[in-house]
Parts: sequence; C-alpha cells; structure tokens
Amino acid sequence: MAMEAQGQGPNFSTRGASLFQAIRDNSAGATPYLFLLPCLVILGALLGVPLYKVVEYSLFDNVIIKPDPIFVGLDNYSNLLSDSGFWSALLNTGIFTIGSVLGHLVVGMSLAMMVNADIHPRARTIFRSLLILPWIFTAAVVALNWQLLLNPFGVINYWLGAAGIINEPLDWLGDANLAMWSLLLISTWRGYPFIMVSFLSGLQSVPRELYEAAEIDGANFFHKFWHVTVPQLKPVIYGVVLLDLIWTFQLFPLVWLTTGGGPGRVTEVLSTLTYRLAFVDFQFSQAATAAVSILVISAAFTILYLRNETRNK
Amino acid sequence: MSNIEIRDLVKRYGTVEALHAINIKIEPGEFAVLVGPSGCGKSTTLRMVAGLETISGGEIVIGDRVVNGLRPKERGIAMVFQNYALYPSKTVYQNMAFSLKLSRVPKDVIDQKVRAVAEILELTELLERKPGALSGGQRQRVAMGRAIVRDPKVFLFDEPLSNLDAKLRGQMRVEIKRLHQRLKNTIIYVTHDQVEAMTLADRIVVMRDGHIEQQGTPDEIFHDPASEFVAGFMGSPAMNLVKATAGADAITIGDTSIPWALPASISNGDTLTFGLRPEDIRPAIDASEVSTRLTVTLELIEQLGTEKLIYFTVGGHSFVGKAEGRADLRVGQSIEVAFDMVHAYGFSPNSGARLR
Ligand SMILES: Nc1ncnc2c1ncn2[C@@H]1O[C@H](COP(=O)(O)OP(=O)(O)OP(=O)(O)O)[C@@H](O)[C@H]1O
Ligand SMILES: [Mg+2]
Repeated sequence: MAMEAQGQGPNFSTRGASLFQAIRDNSAGATPYLFLLPCLVILGALLGVPLYKVVEYSLFDNVIIKPDPIFVGLDNYSNLLSDSGFWSALLNTGIFTIGSVLGHLVVGMSLAMMVNADIHPRARTIFRSLLILPWIFTAAVVALNWQLLLNPFGVINYWLGAAGIINEPLDWLGDANLAMWSLLLISTWRGYPFIMVSFLSGLQSVPRELYEAAEIDGANFFHKFWHVTVPQLKPVIYGVVLLDLIWTFQLFPLVWLTTGGGPGRVTEVLSTLTYRLAFVDFQFSQAATAAVSILVISAAFTILYLRNETRNK
Repeated sequence: MSNIEIRDLVKRYGTVEALHAINIKIEPGEFAVLVGPSGCGKSTTLRMVAGLETISGGEIVIGDRVVNGLRPKERGIAMVFQNYALYPSKTVYQNMAFSLKLSRVPKDVIDQKVRAVAEILELTELLERKPGALSGGQRQRVAMGRAIVRDPKVFLFDEPLSNLDAKLRGQMRVEIKRLHQRLKNTIIYVTHDQVEAMTLADRIVVMRDGHIEQQGTPDEIFHDPASEFVAGFMGSPAMNLVKATAGADAITIGDTSIPWALPASISNGDTLTFGLRPEDIRPAIDASEVSTRLTVTLELIEQLGTEKLIYFTVGGHSFVGKAEGRADLRVGQSIEVAFDMVHAYGFSPNSGARLR
C-alpha cells in the first residue's frame, strides 16, 4: 500500500525508498519470506524439478533410451510389485535398516555411557575424538578399508586364524551366509558416532541427583539405566532413531562399494536395485519407479520425525 | 530409630581437605541439624553418611554397624534432596513405590504402604500425577513420602526447603517437625538457614570451613555460643559484635565506657570483641532496672510489624536494637536505650573463642 501511494512520482530513488518502506511496514508479515525467497527458489529448482521428473519417468516407458517414450500409466508400478527381485530387495532393505539402527543404538549408547563416565577429563576428550572418527571418513574410504580388512587374505582373517577361531580364511563379503552380517558390521561401525554424540549431550543433561536418588532407593546399574537414563533420553532416542532410519533406509554408497548387492542378490537393497535398473540394465523408467517407492517410504518416516519434532517444541 | 556416630571423619578431594576429622554423636530419634555457611562441608558430611561420597578417613556408625563399606541401600537410610530428585517419568505413586518394588515387596503390601503414607502427607489426590504437574510444595511432600515409605532407620535431608517461598517454607518446617514427632526417626538435616536450625533441631551442629565450631541444643548454641562465629551466625539480625577495650568493671567502645562485670578471663587493658544481641538492646522505657542506659540518636528504623529494628552509633560503631512494633520512634530522634549487660559476651579478637 505504501508503494502504491508513493509510486506516483516515478523517480527511482523514491521508488527504492518505498520498497524498503513496504518491507519495513510488513516487518512481522512478509519480510522473513522475502529473505527466504532466493533460498526457496534454488531449493525448489534443485529438488522439485528432479522430483517431478522422476515421478513423470515412472509413468512413461523407455524414457531416455528412446526418443518418444509412451505414457503407460501405472504399468511400471504393477511390474515392480510383481517382480520378486523388488520384494527381496525390500526385505533386505528392512533387515539392513533395522539391523543397522539397532547396531548404532546399542554400540552408540554403550559408548556414550562409557565416555560419559567419571574419568580423567583429558582421557575423556581423547576417547571422544577417537570414537567420532568413523563418522568423518567418506563412504568410499570406509568401504575400501573394510574390503581390505575383510578380504580372505586380510587382517581380520589372519587374526581370527591366529587365535584359532577359524580354520580357514572366510570370504566375509563374498559368502552368501556372511555378507549381510558383514555389511551390518560395517554399517554399525560407520553409523554409531551420530547416536553416541546425540546421547552424550543427552546424558550430560540428566541431573546427577536422579542417579543418587535411585541408588538410595536400591537401584543397580540396569535399574538406573532403565528407570532414569532411558526415560530421560526418550525424546532424544525417538528423534535420533527416526533420523537414522531415514538415512539408513536410502543408504547407497556403503552397500554398493562393499558388496555391490551381492553375492547374487543376497545384499541387494532398494537403492542398489534402483542403481542397477538404471545404470546396469538401462531400464530408466523401471528405475524411476523403484526410486519413487523409496521416496514414499522415506517420506512416511520423515512425516513421523517432523511430527515428533513439533510435538517436542 | 538408630543412633549415628561420626568418628574423625575426613574428606579429601585430591589434595584439598574439605572435612577435617569431625566428630558427631546423634542419639536414637534425635533431630540433628547441620548448619553453616555455604561451602563449609554440610552436604559432604551428609552425603558420606548416605554413602554417595567415599570416606577418606574415619568411621561412620549407624545403629551398631560401621557402614563405611556399605552401599547406600544397605545403610537403612532415606534421603530427601534439595531439588527433590523425583523421577520425572513416573507418577507420584510410582515414585513412592519404586524402592519397595526394587526390594521385591509384594504388590498389595506396596499399595497399602504407599496409600498410608500418601494419607499422612495429603497426597492421595495426586497419586496418579507426574511430578511435572505438581507445585514445589507438593513435590517436596512427594520427596518426603518417597523417603518415609521405605521406613528407614535414618532420614537425611539436604536443604529440602530452600527452593520454596518463605511462607511455604514455614509451613513445611512445621510439617517436618510434626512428622518427626509422629515417626520418631533419627534425622540429620542440612540447612544454611539458622531459623530452620533453631526451630527444628534437638541438636545443632554448627560447621565452618570443614570443622565443627560448636554442637549442642538450640538453647546452648543461641545463649551460650562457643565462638564469635557461632554468635554471629545464629540469630537475626545478627549479634552486635564490636571491638572494645576492657577497663575496671567496664568496657570502652570508642569514647564510650559501659559498666560490665567482666568475665573471669578478661582483665583490665585487654582488647576483645564485645557482643550483645539486638534483643538485649531496647528503648529504656521497655527495659528493666538493672540495665545500662545510653542516650543515642536513631539513624535508621526498620518496621517489621511485631517489632522495629533501631540503628544507631555508639563510640563510632554501628549497633542494632529492637523496639516494640508500636513504639513511636522517628529517625533523628534522640532516645535513651538500655544495654542488658547481663547477656553480653566477650570473644578473643584473634581466635574468636569465647572469653568466659
Ligand atoms: N567434587 C568436589 N571436588 C572438589 N571439591 C569439592 C567437591 N565437592 C565439594 N567440594 C568442596 O568441599 C567443600 C564443602 O562442600 P559442600 O558441598 O559440603 O558444602 P555445603 O556446606 O553443602 O555448602 P552449600 O550450603 O553451598 O550447599 C567446598 O569447599 C567445596 O568446594
Ligand atoms: Mg550443600
């Protein structure tokens, strides 16, 4: 309104002033959005367009490969749902995701409690820094490292052999019975620091008096953990687990660079299936359909997470 | 009901000694209050009795057992914390039942005990609430309920009322006193509030810098203080304490001489710290015949309702006295005040020890 009123004098400087005036008048209303606008535009372009494209691809046949793809409606989806490969990948994804998150939780929480113990402050800082390391490496480095470690001629086989636990070297990543376990080991190692760090800050906010009161009430270590620590960390646990679920569910590089979904399809997850459909089999439409399925499930977790976040506010 | 004996108790944090060989003996059923300024070691002592803090030296006996090596739950104690330390995720009922549940007491027995205690503390209506939905005073009662339910031999309180407002503090003080008369447990109660100490205690232990300054009944502590520190700490407003010189059957404060039958250990010419409580300085019209009268100019008057605090200067030192709440006094007025020298004290100016 301020703009309209003053806009009659088409002098550049007054127009500029009136624009600022408008922004200032609206300080509680539009201004924050104005500042957000560039960000929203860029995000929209980078996220919205590909998202739209993927959904569009999944409704056509032979996109990219053929110049004139045909609209097939939901055919790709019914193909996907009748493909046993998809269902086994979905199952593997479930196993991998839940196994990883459980691994992160158990290892992360145990280490958080150990590092939070009453030890020398310097030792504590050193332990904390060391234990966060797995988080810092890129997936490629982690994958390469573990491939070397788990190699039939690698260090782990050598140690296990030397300790007399195994008689002959095992192909940890290549054996159909071991590959998923090995993958879970790697994923746990890689992912626990996030949980550890989140819990550490949570643990430090638990009043010491609560533990002391519990001790006087006759609580042992497990009682204290169950009746004091867990309830106090509950909001943190819920949020962190959901985030971890979202991330792990769509995790690609770690799986692709270690087992590549193999041997056979034993460790094939939805993300590697999608990649294989697209860049190995060149079935881009089918790949887009698989990608949409990941999107839908991730979105469900995300909504749960956001709802939890707003409830905690 | 148990006696408690603390023998030569020492606490060291690294190289720093926080408690220097303290000795306390508490009879069965006695209400003992540890009082002293911040950092004097009250909480440390209490927490060592509770078993929450390791013992660097000496012995703690509860009943007839040395408890040094026992864990908190084996000592037969219950503790009420300053910030209540209620389990936030548990209801009032679950908070009170927790210790019994951990010791595998049958459910119906737990229920009976919790409800009985809730009845005493008027918590019955609140049993299903979480601590977050309670007022400070209600939380305080739940914390006490949690302690009582366990039927401990000894109650330990660490500044339980310091988070409450003045009025509620007064009410809870009475409630705790009633509870003690009813349950007759041995209690150790930590506070820095001398009013709480005076009103609650059978025995007061005054602490300072990790040692015990004096212990005794409230009467002894108040009327027969062993040191300048105890005299100054107990009582509100604090005792008037000023530098003085002893004369022949008199002391001199600045240029003013006041007749006083000197205690035996003070002789003519000694310097000392002279002490007289505000209660023993009154406008002359309210006072008895034997007192010493001085004419002073009122510099400040504080109206407390039941009484007025009057401030004036004698021999260059500021004094506080007490007048009737209805007394008609004005600042600048010149009045006669009576010093009740029978209740005056002398303290060593160096050690602060009482000169008798
Ligand atoms: N963990 C600790 N490490 C080092 N010194 C400590 C520790 N805990 C207490 N102290 C020291 O011991 C002394 C006694 O502390 P304590 O907590 O017993 O005081 P308090 O009398 O309870 O005081 P307040 O009225 O402030 O609670 C203090 O000087 C304190 O600094
Ligand atoms: Mg304290």
